[in-house]
Amino acid sequence: MTRTPQHLDDDGVAEAAAAWFVRLQAPDAAPQDWQAFEAWLQAAPVHARAYEHIEAIWVELDDQAPAIAAVLDTPRPAPRRDRRPAPRQAAVRRARWLGIGGAIAAGLAVAVFIAERPAPVAPATIYAAAPGQTRTIRLADGSQVRLNAASTLKVSFARDARRVELADAEAAFDVTHDAERPFLITVGDSQVRVVGTEFDLRHRAGATQLTVRRGVVEVRPGAGDQVVKVAAGQQLAHEDGSHVAVVTPVNADDAFAWTQGQLIYRDRPLSEVAADLTRRFGRPVSIADARTAAIRFTGVLVTDSEPAVLRRLESFAPVRAEQTAGGVVLRGR
Amino acid sequence: MARQGNSALIEVYLERRQDLVRFFTVRLRSAAAAEDLVQEIYLRLSSREGPDAEIQSPTAYLYRLGSNLMLDRMRGERRAAARDRAWRETHRTDVGSDEVDETPNALAALEARQRLERIVQAVTELGPQTQRVFRLHKLEGLSHTETAAQLGISRSAVEKHMIAVLKHLARRLP
Repeated sequence: MTRTPQHLDDDGVAEAAAAWFVRLQAPDAAPQDWQAFEAWLQAAPVHARAYEHIEAIWVELDDQAPAIAAVLDTPRPAPRRDRRPAPRQAAVRRARWLGIGGAIAAGLAVAVFIAERPAPVAPATIYAAAPGQTRTIRLADGSQVRLNAASTLKVSFARDARRVELADAEAAFDVTHDAERPFLITVGDSQVRVVGTEFDLRHRAGATQLTVRRGVVEVRPGAGDQVVKVAAGQQLAHEDGSHVAVVTPVNADDAFAWTQGQLIYRDRPLSEVAADLTRRFGRPVSIADARTAAIRFTGVLVTDSEPAVLRRLESFAPVRAEQTAGGVVLRGR
Repeated sequence: MARQGNSALIEVYLERRQDLVRFFTVRLRSAAAAEDLVQEIYLRLSSREGPDAEIQSPTAYLYRLGSNLMLDRMRGERRAAARDRAWRETHRTDVGSDEVDETPNALAALEARQRLERIVQAVTELGPQTQRVFRLHKLEGLSHTETAAQLGISRSAVEKHMIAVLKHLARRLP
């Protein structure tokens, strides 16, 4: 990835490359944008190199995201800007280009590390998404976890296994294949074993729901001896305290819809919709009475903003959303 | 749920196949590599099952899909190295000045940490609002639209902040 930095001194090219990269990621980029981009790439070889440099940084940021967030969250003794006297930094950098500054730079880094980072006593890391917030986490093995709102996840990787604990939470997992180190999840009173696959796992109010989109997942419900295999396109449901698990065929994409900012329901009680909206927007959505709670709902809710979702819900289901001091109350019409 | 199926996308793919090969030949500097990639786009299309509601322009979607496949490959190449690092971090038993030994592994871990320090430093040099956008969009995975909503700014403002982030990081990170 290291290459001569000359072309990067050209601010204009770096900026154009960054602008192309960001614009082409937008969902409303048009075919003409791609054609114009192709022409720009061909206009000069430095353009392509500058663009590849942006891509390399982008991918590096993906991998480093949790680490960067952790360091940014660590309180610093002195404002960071004090440590940025440009001349010294630049000198070290130039020295590194010449290949003689590595040792010096490494020495500095050791000092910085020991002073600033607390000792990693327990290797477990806790990730949380607050109500109204979702997060994407990239784990050290390359696996990706999307954490739904109001969810907590504990991760600890060891030589023999990758272990995750899921309490009151929902998360969509895309697990990197590693036959040597299985991915083990404790969810409620059950154990889930994964080798490399994509699935959504939800544990709310003592009920576990596992939906597999790719590959196969093994579950030991209620920590019993029975092992249930759940394949792509299947969903397992289990209540804590029982030894029973029910596997049914489903449209797996529905369970992942929240990762795309949607909630999909097929004949679900309104109380479930209310609980999902409470987590999604971080403001209580409650049900006025038992009759309303029993209303069955089928439909897709795009969760862009709370007022818009409530408006849609009112037009899809026979309910009215009433604003109160304590949050929103859904009442049957 | 509106589902247009994949046949519409595949039709557009067949129509645009030559354009895609030409574009990815420019990107990959190899016609053979471009053919492979464009073939992989086809495989993704035929195994795709998700709802198509978010696709505004099928043609632009095909270009983006191919470009993301390129990013995935780069990611895959990085991961082997990342795994080695994770190994070392999780198996540190003794922490203190004594634990820094001179094995190649320790040096690799050190280099990775140094690199991380450098990234973080570059990020902290950005303006506060730009840092907030970077954090929500890149670290927490919100889309441009979600980031804009969270901060109460327009989507084009989010894009401008992200351009500033990438431009700055490109200058500060070799």
